[in-house]
Amino acid sequence: MAGIYIHVPFCKSKCSYCDFASYPKETSKIESYFACLYREIEARAKEFKDKTFSTVYFGGGTPSFVDEKFILGAVRQVKKHFNLVYNPEITIEINPGTVNKEKINAYKSVGINRFSIGLQTGYDCQLKKLNRIHTAKDFLECTNLLKGENISADILIGLEDQTLEQVKKSIDLALTGGAKHLSVYALTPEVGTPIYNDYLNGRLLSDDEVADIYDGVREYLSQKGIDRYEVSNFALKGFESKHNLNYWERGEYVGLGVSASSFMNNRRWTNSYKIDEYNTAIIFNKVPEISSDIIEGKDAEFEFIMLALRTENGMSIERFNKEFNLDFLKEYAEPLKKKQKYLILENNRLKIKPEYLYVQNDIILEFMK
Amino acid sequence: MSIKKENIRNFCIVAHIDHGKSTLADRLMEKTGQVSERDMEEQLLDSMDLERERGITIKLTPVRMFYKAKNGEEYLFNLIDTPGHVDFTYEVSRSLKACEGAILIVDATQGVQAQTLANAYLALDNDLEIMPVINKIDLASAMPDEAAKEVEEILGIEAMSAPRISAKCGTNIEQVLEAVVERVPAPKGDDNAPLKALIFDSYYDNFKGVICFVRIMDGTVKVGTKIRTYMSDKQFDVTEVGVFAPNLSPQPCLRAGEVGYIAASIKSIEDTAVGDTITEVSRPAEKPLDGYKKALPMVFSGVFPVDGSKFNDLKDALLKLKLNDAALSIEPDNSAALGFGFRCGFLGLLHMDVIQARIEREFDLEIITTAPSVSYKVYKTDGQNFTVENPSKLPPTTEIDYMEEPVIKASIFTPPDYVGPIMDLCQSKRGIYKDMVYLDKTRVELKYILPLNEIIYDFFDQLKSRTRGYASFDYEISEYVKSDLVKLDMLLNGEVCDALSIIVHKEKAYERGRQIAEKLKEVIPRQMFEIPIQAAVGGKVIARETVKAFRKDVLAKCYGGDVTRKKKLLEKQKEGKKKMRSIGSVEIPSEAFISILKTDNDR
Repeated sequence: MAGIYIHVPFCKSKCSYCDFASYPKETSKIESYFACLYREIEARAKEFKDKTFSTVYFGGGTPSFVDEKFILGAVRQVKKHFNLVYNPEITIEINPGTVNKEKINAYKSVGINRFSIGLQTGYDCQLKKLNRIHTAKDFLECTNLLKGENISADILIGLEDQTLEQVKKSIDLALTGGAKHLSVYALTPEVGTPIYNDYLNGRLLSDDEVADIYDGVREYLSQKGIDRYEVSNFALKGFESKHNLNYWERGEYVGLGVSASSFMNNRRWTNSYKIDEYNTAIIFNKVPEISSDIIEGKDAEFEFIMLALRTENGMSIERFNKEFNLDFLKEYAEPLKKKQKYLILENNRLKIKPEYLYVQNDIILEFMK
Repeated sequence: MSIKKENIRNFCIVAHIDHGKSTLADRLMEKTGQVSERDMEEQLLDSMDLERERGITIKLTPVRMFYKAKNGEEYLFNLIDTPGHVDFTYEVSRSLKACEGAILIVDATQGVQAQTLANAYLALDNDLEIMPVINKIDLASAMPDEAAKEVEEILGIEAMSAPRISAKCGTNIEQVLEAVVERVPAPKGDDNAPLKALIFDSYYDNFKGVICFVRIMDGTVKVGTKIRTYMSDKQFDVTEVGVFAPNLSPQPCLRAGEVGYIAASIKSIEDTAVGDTITEVSRPAEKPLDGYKKALPMVFSGVFPVDGSKFNDLKDALLKLKLNDAALSIEPDNSAALGFGFRCGFLGLLHMDVIQARIEREFDLEIITTAPSVSYKVYKTDGQNFTVENPSKLPPTTEIDYMEEPVIKASIFTPPDYVGPIMDLCQSKRGIYKDMVYLDKTRVELKYILPLNEIIYDFFDQLKSRTRGYASFDYEISEYVKSDLVKLDMLLNGEVCDALSIIVHKEKAYERGRQIAEKLKEVIPRQMFEIPIQAAVGGKVIARETVKAFRKDVLAKCYGGDVTRKKKLLEKQKEGKKKMRSIGSVEIPSEAFISILKTDNDR
């Protein structure tokens, strides 16, 4: 099984923490961009005729920001050229304030069945500081349009002066809106973003404070039956993101559009981050890639371990052995022993003990050869 | 080359650090046409990169110049450079022995400074004619008359007629050249007497063996001469003699009064110790030149490769450095924490610093150095006694009757305003006050006896910061005195880390232990578990700190586009980890071992 990722590099305005390929000032390029994207969809589909895909994911940017016809066109193009399973999971990221009834109905009409909403926080003052375009009320208006749908909401922790109580309230809001899946991300100040200055000035929460909130969130959500299944992802049973689980199983995926990354047939590649560069490449029938690597041997093994150990369920040793034709327990006896205090080995799976999931880098480093 | 002996001038330049020694040397070379202005790399004498970077001279480099004086005669000048740091005082005195005169540079803005004094006295001790030169007259704050007066008052040397120059701008350099002709005496010595040559420096050349820098006091040496060194008592056949022009330039012979080099297929620099005398085998001089002193290492430190597998590379590097540095001592060492390495002995902290920097720079090796130690005398209850340079080699307390530590005679020169702070500092370093001399209105000399092990920590830095850089300091090793010393151990997560142990005075143990524990808390990164840091003396814990466990190190997101980035990040972290040393389950960055030295500076 494999996934398809489609990047929409447009939005109304840039959030203060965002370092994704997203260009609010280049909306005049929407039309030409999608024309090129459709061509890439067709070309890549030809390349992977023999593969079957089970998920599609529209990320951004703000996919819901552009006219729905572009999204519908993309879904149709994917369905036309790729082999999809019956009833694939199709997710779209939407932001409150960018959708209306018609848009949602249009999405649903082509089979989009999962909606990931960028809530971030339920406090308007915090939203404003993050340069988000919406309010808490906008979120509820948005979820009203999505009654009964499979909704996920994003929550940020680590904001200036943020408390656990505030985060709990934000979670309450998301659940009121009907979310059955939550992504709770620690704010990551990236160089070059406005929020990086806040970080340098010590305004954001410290790692210890973030960890406190995180622990509180985990406990709060588990009381509600919403369990963690990956470092930053929580869901009611059965509502996990299939698309994302595929990444952590080191499954294959094709990324389409600006800045999208792919992993197919042991090759990782990434498309250009610039719309013009991407468009030009497509128009001249060139690959829009800016990097490409074949991943083999120890590198591939490490990826497999690193990704799988992000999940609550850990890594299937059987799958590892089959994938690399190795005896994992023998091959990695040393790191397993060195870090055994933090690991669980049972049912032929390797997991990080739940309480250490948030400090896993130090553990997985041991597995790097 | 047929310059009469009467027209040879052998001299050196002495100065306080940064008073313009190298710049003046450059100008002299320029004016005598030794080097053209265009081709000249700034400060030719300081040939090692490191020397140029730090503005100090470590190795001696003689330069030869021809000067046509106003009296119409042509003169040969041999300028012998001297190292400018207290660590190398002995080498300075050797190079002075090769001269008849010394140019004493005094900064017109600063006047006489500690090293001006120390070097001037050294020159006087060696019966050199001293010619003061007032430098930096181009600066707005220059007060040449005051500086000259200071020289007269403090040193008792006539200075009113001293050339007033700006080495930087090249002003009045000819006056200096003329003064050398007029005031520096021509060398004496008899070309036909038995050979007596003073080794004032040497280095190892891959093709020629050891190159000895010599001043011929008596006699003549040429290719084929069978020579003998006095102290090491070795014999060699001379393969080449020559002069520095400024590169090695072979000559038929070297005669009394001349400065040059001798090569004789000498394999080890130890055989040609600085200060030793070379003579002829067939016709030996009656007695060697006096004043020979073996350069003894005073400061000892463990040197280990960061990457344990690079032990042999480190060994090669140290052996190569030792080829050119008789004062460096090396001995294999083995630490539970750091693995295999060496215990090295240095003349002082600067020497240690220079060797470390050269290992890292010239041999591209990353090293860990442990806190420097001095050499202690241990007297055991069973009557045995020996010296210990490595704290981890100290026998258990119960077996020690008593111990002795080396002390120094320190002379500190300072403006009177800072006498108080300096006395506080010396007292806090267990100093014993000896004397205070008012040299003039602006200068006081304080004399103290100080334990060397206090000096090697942060004495220089403290002295500088407490006197805003005005005080300067000179010392000589004095003797060993009985002292109440203990071994201070550092425990990480309950385990003693041998590489962090130090020997301290009992009264200092608590304070040092607390400081080191605090410092370690700063430099040891938080890890997955809590790490207790303890300082202990004889099993008794006297200070404690805790490094809390970290709680978050994971990346928030890891989706399709993040895999490569995350992997790169982890690879970088892994690289960082390689520079860490594991003490039990605790990982310590390599700089931790030396950073415990710097405890005082931060506050």
